[in-house]
Amino acid sequence: MSMPAFRLERPRSVAGAVSILAAHGPDAMILAGGTDVVPNLQMKLFSPRVLVDIKSLAKVCRLSAIEWSPGNGLRIGALSTLTAVCESLLIQEKFPVLARAVATIAGPLQRNMGTLGGNLCLETRCHWYNQSEFWRKSLGGCLKLQVSDALAGKEGPVCHVAPGGRRCWAAWSGDAAPALLTLDAEIEIAGPAGLRRVALAQFYRNDGMDRIALGRDELLTAVRVPPRMAGRRGNYRKLRVRNSIDYPLAGVAVSMDVDPRGVCRDARLALTAVNPAPLLVKEVGEWLIGQTASPELIERVAQQAIRTAKPLTTSGSTPVYRRDMVRVFTRRALEEAWRETAGAPV
Amino acid sequence: MAMNSVIGKPLPMIESRAKVTGLGKYADDLSVPGMLIGRILHSPHAHAVIRSIDTSRAEALPGVKAVATGRDAPHPYGILPIGHDECVFTVDKARYIGDNIAAVAATSAAIAEQALDLIHVDYELLPAFFDPLESMQSAEHWLHPTKPNNIEKEYHHLFGSVDEGFAQAAFVLEQRFFAGEVTHAAMEPHATLAIWEPDGRLTVHSSTQVPYYLHRTLSEVLEMPMSQIRVIKPLIGGGFGGKSEIIPLEVAASVLAKMAKRPVKITYTREEVFLAHRGRPITIVDMKVGLTEEGKISAVAARVVQDGGAYCGYGPVTVLYSGALLGALYDIPNVRYDGFRVLTNKPACGAMRGHGTVNVRFAFESVLDDLARDAGIDPAEVRRRNLLKAPCITVNGLRVTSYGLPECIEKVVERSGWKEKQGKLPYGKGIGIACSHYVSGAANPIIRSNIPHTTVHIKIDRDAGVTVYTGASEIGQGSDTMHVQIVAEILGVRPERIRLIAADTELTPIDLGSYSSRVTFMAGNACLEAARNMRAQILEGVAAKYKLGTAMLDMRDEQVISLDDSRLRLTFDEAVAAALEFRGALVAKGTYAPPEESRGGKHKGAGVGPSPSYSYSAQTVEVSVDTDTGQIRVEKIIAAHDCGRALNPLTVEGQVEGSVYMGLGQALQEEMVWDNGRLMNPSLLEYKIATTLETPEIESIIVESIDPEGPFGAKEAGEGSLAATIPAVANAIYDAVGVRINSLPITPEKILAALREKGKQQRGGKSGSNGGAR
Repeated sequence: MSMPAFRLERPRSVAGAVSILAAHGPDAMILAGGTDVVPNLQMKLFSPRVLVDIKSLAKVCRLSAIEWSPGNGLRIGALSTLTAVCESLLIQEKFPVLARAVATIAGPLQRNMGTLGGNLCLETRCHWYNQSEFWRKSLGGCLKLQVSDALAGKEGPVCHVAPGGRRCWAAWSGDAAPALLTLDAEIEIAGPAGLRRVALAQFYRNDGMDRIALGRDELLTAVRVPPRMAGRRGNYRKLRVRNSIDYPLAGVAVSMDVDPRGVCRDARLALTAVNPAPLLVKEVGEWLIGQTASPELIERVAQQAIRTAKPLTTSGSTPVYRRDMVRVFTRRALEEAWRETAGAPV
Repeated sequence: MAMNSVIGKPLPMIESRAKVTGLGKYADDLSVPGMLIGRILHSPHAHAVIRSIDTSRAEALPGVKAVATGRDAPHPYGILPIGHDECVFTVDKARYIGDNIAAVAATSAAIAEQALDLIHVDYELLPAFFDPLESMQSAEHWLHPTKPNNIEKEYHHLFGSVDEGFAQAAFVLEQRFFAGEVTHAAMEPHATLAIWEPDGRLTVHSSTQVPYYLHRTLSEVLEMPMSQIRVIKPLIGGGFGGKSEIIPLEVAASVLAKMAKRPVKITYTREEVFLAHRGRPITIVDMKVGLTEEGKISAVAARVVQDGGAYCGYGPVTVLYSGALLGALYDIPNVRYDGFRVLTNKPACGAMRGHGTVNVRFAFESVLDDLARDAGIDPAEVRRRNLLKAPCITVNGLRVTSYGLPECIEKVVERSGWKEKQGKLPYGKGIGIACSHYVSGAANPIIRSNIPHTTVHIKIDRDAGVTVYTGASEIGQGSDTMHVQIVAEILGVRPERIRLIAADTELTPIDLGSYSSRVTFMAGNACLEAARNMRAQILEGVAAKYKLGTAMLDMRDEQVISLDDSRLRLTFDEAVAAALEFRGALVAKGTYAPPEESRGGKHKGAGVGPSPSYSYSAQTVEVSVDTDTGQIRVEKIIAAHDCGRALNPLTVEGQVEGSVYMGLGQALQEEMVWDNGRLMNPSLLEYKIATTLETPEIESIIVESIDPEGPFGAKEAGEGSLAATIPAVANAIYDAVGVRINSLPITPEKILAALREKGKQQRGGKSGSNGGAR
């Protein structure tokens, strides 16, 4: 189907981008790699009057640089391609959870085009929403995307996942965010007042309709990981039907710092695709600190992960199975992280 | 006779260079001056009376050149003469979400889409049927008033004495199987360019497997003589049955072109491809099989309900194949079959690779495996004990002329290390076996007539180029290359000398189309006859000119030689020049019609199932099952396929691998998911066809039984290997973890549920023959 009509703006600086965004407010939308935005435009999930193409900023503003210093840690420009991130030897060596998670995003073609910033700002997904205009009209729309057509029911917009509810449960379906959450990442956001930094965990609202705390006049410019997280072992387990290309149906990211005796010094666990936001699993860090691996402890952590996961019928797989797999994957991710640390470093 | 020079050689397909360089032209690549873009308005309702349609606002939109509704093309049509129940734009009511209501041709796609929004349709909603078992109980609101209880067709067949057969059985097992709905998912979405010619004729370039049926249907719907319509099939990016009947866009583009007096192109969106569908129906199979103490199948009773969707399509043929092809694989003396094709408010199903046989084969081969265990017989051995003794005629009237199944089983058992593995692999790993077969074309045509099913012409003129005219449709299966190989072989020339003109109704004689795996057998035989005819003409010319007898002349290596006079050695060009002196341009013809003996019995529905020949397949599949996640990893598939003779081993292997690939998709992950008649996954992102990365190693083994009637002994290669893959996977899963999954696709979730049900099975212990999930 044809795309809705829009004007394409190509700013030459971050400030220029911000001012275009500020001028058009909700009528503008940022275009980076386009792997999420373009298909969604074709489905007419949104019809921005202005598309702000920021790809040209990659070179001029360090927006695609990947830099490391022992003092400042890791800084990844938001326009770095996903391929650049997962193939970076630096990231593979110092932040393996990130390289591994990013390597699972879509297929190589999308990773060549898609950017890290784009993956962190991905639109939430739901099979009642990610459909063509014809399909959505025949359904009568949903909470996340209402149709003005007379086809909408008399009771107004309805959530087909949780009928009667007023909250959108469209699932956060990015892979990079859970990995970065386990690394205590921060993001840099450019706005009219300049740059601000915010913890990545604060960026997500856990609301399918209003997923990220990014102003309409703001732009994500970089991701930062503190130097103390370097060298942590970690891995990412992703549930999907096709390991070659699919979005996650559930995902578990783990980062751990373990001493040579196998005692955990610090750990983080985060989930994706089972809530409207990527979420850190609370409390498990404290449980793990000072402990060695044991089946009981790992099972206790896995149970806590299940409590964090609230998948609903937003995809072809059932919530029951996705929760089950959160438990299995948490267990496996922890065991693997522990094993890797005990043996030779990866 | 000389060694074959081209037949049996792995010749790359002649169109592959155009395809891989991107220079090949598919229907959507075509563009002509003044071309309009067409778009179709689809029903948002599953079942609704159309009270009125107001197109005035759409017509008034600048750039709109034609708006068509049911009034503009009211002739019902359908692929079967007994099933003319659809109009290009439905006239009375909409029968599924996606049903075709109207269409617009405009100067751009955007304008056409905008115009669709301006068409106002007044609907009156009706109760809709989504479940076939409920639908067939319905007392009112039937989809078609002529089809009471929403039953499109039902057939009840009884061959032999089934009750007696079950009485003789030492082991009887009856199980219900469910197969979800799958679709072809061809890479190329359907596209049609219809050109209204200045002289009032119509030229239609379309992504079709059946140019002839399209030609006929357009003539009926447009009320134009066939002689005024030309149908051309460009390159096709996959058919698999999804382009084997008339697809609405083909008629819609033609109607719009006639109204606008302009060329009109319509290309389906991927979602529209899913809604046009014509794939494999949801099927519920109750399969009962009896096995004697000695492991002989004594009786089979099958009841099959197919959820056919809103229109007839190929439906009655599908449900007949499901019953008829219970026969001709094994020696089964007693068969009862009850088949129901049911209408529901969903897109129409139709023919899909392995048409009608696949879901029933899944059920049969699963039950046979369980029975073998009950009887304490190795699953490969039980299949060996039930072989046919070909040539023979089965109890339901199918004539089997060549039968490579024994060798297929032998080969896969040997290559897979079956004896060392079956029942002996550690828990979580397993191996399974299954067999399948398929027709080499239908012995009876869809539209009954005595006209040959296919005709091939060959022409040679002063350039000594050999031009072959065939109506057969290359859809990626190797049809074009097959013709070239046969002609090159018979005339003893290089393939490069041959020009092929195919599937253009203005130039080529009629072939019924690329469906039911008929082309190699039927068009191949016609082509062989035409080539022999041409060969005789050339040799007669040479003999006349050089005063020789034709008996000792041979054609090979681009030469005509005399076997008893080594001085006579003419180049092909010289030989042609000699023949031209007597005849002018050389023309030759060949035809094929299946022999009377192959056309089956006399019972109601006997017309479907008979074929001049059957292909055979046996497969072993090895799997690993992750018992925590239920995820299945297929490690290796070995598929032995009896194709009679591999005219081109490269394309045969490709066809076998493609069949296995599609079978694997249906076995493990493909399913159209419905919610109240709404397709939840109408995209290649959410309809999970496997990529190459999920596709395991497939080893194909070619078995050549040399069919007595096939061209050079060849028969079917493109479909017969699909059906075996699915039960072989299910049987391997049983071998691995002791659970029998009766429902497709076999998702990890179903595995976990079955494992949980099975309960206390200890890890590391291997399940016995009485695994609990049965």
